[in-house]
Amino acid sequence: MPDNVLEAVGLHRAYGSVRAVDDVSFTLPEGGSLGIVGESGSGKTTTARIVVGLEQADSGDVLVRGRARDARGRGRTRRLARAREVQMVFQDPYLSLDPRTSVEQVLREALRLHFPDTDHDRRVRELLDQVGLGTRAADARPRQLSGGQRQRVAIARALAVEPAVLVLDEAVAALDVSVQAQILNLLADIREETRIGYLFITHDLGVVRCVTDDVIVMRKGRVVEAGPTAEVLAAPRHPYTRLLLESVPRPGWDPEAIAAARRAL
Amino acid sequence: MTSMSSPHTLDVRGLRITLPGTARPVLDGVDLHVGAGETVALVGESGSGKTLTSRSALKLLPPGAVVEGAVRVRGEDVLAMNAEQLRGLRTGTVSMIFQDPRAALNPLRRIGDFLTESVTLTGSMSRADATARAVELLRAVGLDESALRKYPGQVSGGMLQRVMIAAALMGDPALVLADEPTTALDVTTQAEVIALLAELRERFGTGLLFVTHDLDLAAAISDRVYVMYAGRIVESGPAEALFARPRHPYTSALLASTPRLEGPQGRLAAIDGQPPDLRQELVGCAFAARCHLATEICDQQAPEPRTAPGRPHHQAACHHSDRLEGSPVDA
Amino acid sequence: MTAVLTRRPGLAKIRTARSPLYLVCLGLVGLVTVAALLAPWLVPYDPNAVDLGNALAAPSPEHLLGVDAAGRDTLSRLLLGARTSLLGPLGVVVFSTVAGVAIGMAAGWRGGWLDSVLSRSTELVFAFPGMLLAILIISIYGEGLPAPVIALSVAYLPYVSRLTRSLVLAERKRPYVSAYQVQGHSALQICLRHVLPNIAPVVLAQSTINFGYALMDLAGLSFLGLGVPALTPDWGRMVFDGQTAIQHGYPLSAILPCVFIVLTVVAFNVVGERWADRVARRDR
Repeated sequence: MPDNVLEAVGLHRAYGSVRAVDDVSFTLPEGGSLGIVGESGSGKTTTARIVVGLEQADSGDVLVRGRARDARGRGRTRRLARAREVQMVFQDPYLSLDPRTSVEQVLREALRLHFPDTDHDRRVRELLDQVGLGTRAADARPRQLSGGQRQRVAIARALAVEPAVLVLDEAVAALDVSVQAQILNLLADIREETRIGYLFITHDLGVVRCVTDDVIVMRKGRVVEAGPTAEVLAAPRHPYTRLLLESVPRPGWDPEAIAAARRAL
Repeated sequence: MTSMSSPHTLDVRGLRITLPGTARPVLDGVDLHVGAGETVALVGESGSGKTLTSRSALKLLPPGAVVEGAVRVRGEDVLAMNAEQLRGLRTGTVSMIFQDPRAALNPLRRIGDFLTESVTLTGSMSRADATARAVELLRAVGLDESALRKYPGQVSGGMLQRVMIAAALMGDPALVLADEPTTALDVTTQAEVIALLAELRERFGTGLLFVTHDLDLAAAISDRVYVMYAGRIVESGPAEALFARPRHPYTSALLASTPRLEGPQGRLAAIDGQPPDLRQELVGCAFAARCHLATEICDQQAPEPRTAPGRPHHQAACHHSDRLEGSPVDA
Repeated sequence: MTAVLTRRPGLAKIRTARSPLYLVCLGLVGLVTVAALLAPWLVPYDPNAVDLGNALAAPSPEHLLGVDAAGRDTLSRLLLGARTSLLGPLGVVVFSTVAGVAIGMAAGWRGGWLDSVLSRSTELVFAFPGMLLAILIISIYGEGLPAPVIALSVAYLPYVSRLTRSLVLAERKRPYVSAYQVQGHSALQICLRHVLPNIAPVVLAQSTINFGYALMDLAGLSFLGLGVPALTPDWGRMVFDGQTAIQHGYPLSAILPCVFIVLTVVAFNVVGERWADRVARRDR
């Protein structure tokens, strides 16, 4: 059994003359958590969408547990197999749920598709419990839920498929600080329980420090720095990583020096 | 009353706003002031009422709002103004920078037209003067005059926010309201915009009310900070004091739940539960249900703001401020 | 929201904001529908029973709304005429909605060459006046209800398909659609179970408005003698038959169906607009 649950090798994706993703490779060990950090236009979201299969790479491979991910196959079996490899939680909890579908229906749809012969009632209760939603929330429509609760539903929906890897695309960026902390703690608990692998797309270095083991820093489609999160944050080697770190507001923060450094880069 | 020798640029007193179909006021007795040339941060989560508070300075209120209290800009009562006075206020004395510059700009109009239209339409400046002022301000925000002829779609988000800042300064305002002006921007761009705001404040002497959800950003840039929760100001004071020794459990819990680059790693100290819903009435302290210090009195009686011993400008509305100060807070 | 309902300018001006008007119109729609459904049991006389001795008689206790030039009872013809007058537009709306949604959805979802082919071919129909198309088809297939209904269905289809296409384009950009794709649901399942219910209210509002227009167009065809066969009671046909009576100074048998056509069209329009506005408000 290979040690890496997810591996990306030489991913390329261009839109016209813009190289959105330019030779991106990384590995995610079994049960690990890898952060992709970058600003808008860095290609981090395109990379995530390629991994999930919402977008095709021009070249390069995505391997899950050593097997190349078949991004083009159309049959039902392939579709379901693909879904069980990688699931995704989206940024905006207000748009990532069908407004007409109740929480319970959302989970049942996923279970019916992937595990038609199991006890769905029990599994729905388990999933709601796992993401910290009471059974009272089961009948609610998305509009009756807060942003944090919706994101919990989105996480439960992804977990229902029992994927090997969960891609979280800025999954806590739209949430308030106090709710964000709840969701980050929840994600840490889930990883501990299920040994699922996380690919965490974010622009927030504080979040990266909190939930990832390893990190890659992307800029203009390329990986500029990669390594264990603690090391990269403590001793960044690339000037861009240093700039990102210095840009985080804190007491004694000097925005003018950062602006100057940004222009110099 | 208003006969003070030097009135505050913005002075909000006991502002209470009730919207139709809600069980409690959206704003419940907000007291806040911004001095001349002062930077004040208003911090709160979504639904706390921070945006509504800042908009009240322009009398931009939702339809059906019932307003009590007073909002004064340079001593003049904004809430009592007629339509013409309001227009003068909005194009001159007070201006606003929005969160998403792209949504606030008409994509089919050139940046130059956007900059000059408000002052030329009110007739306070001739077209030539307005263009000259626009060029001067674009230089001040680090852009050149070629930007005048560009369309919003042709420039980046950071540059567009600089255009918005330039536009906010066109009427030479006494007060700029910035509602999450950097939330839609990248972190490195954020630093640039903040640096610019700080520089312009010194150069033009404008007061700045900076509305944000980001405590660390608020601490880094402002002279004073107000923290809002469920329509009330729960704590206010100088940035350093408030962050080093918070006197309201909500402020301290927010500080503890922010993921940071320094400090202990691992689980965050999340605040359980959610802010109270507008559909339910509030008795006592709004934060009591989520507070680890809460006792019986918190459920019965809303706390009044009290001054911290030895720090006359640091106030918190909590029955148990003194118990909190003893406990260590990681920051 | 990028999608805009197609409304003819004149009728859109009738403001729907005041609710009494809406309630009156809703009541009228209900009344006309019930009358059409129960017509065979409500009519006092055989609508085709000719009584030339009594031609053009004024309203009387026996003939509540008078008698036409051929001596037929106007009330009976109005009631039974409601059936054909509503059945025709219903056929037009059902067919144009079903086909329009299918085409619009396929074009919006798949995009690419399929979108180009479908959009261009529906636009071709757009360029061709619906009435002209109907007259053309009738001249080939002869009179009767099916020919004008098919013709108008084709003419109305682009309104629905274009609306559906733009709604689907907006809807499929939403992350929830991506989420279902990632979950492994097939495109057809996502379209039918999630996209369709979410766009349905807007499409149905457009179809309700189309109903009024179709009624007017079909009545116009009947008036030209191109719609229903001569003896079938139909409002448009009644106006046509009543022309001579007007010249003789007996306008009732022609004016009453006119009034019913106008009121029904306006009522469907107001109800449709109201629904559309309600959907728009909910989306905000």
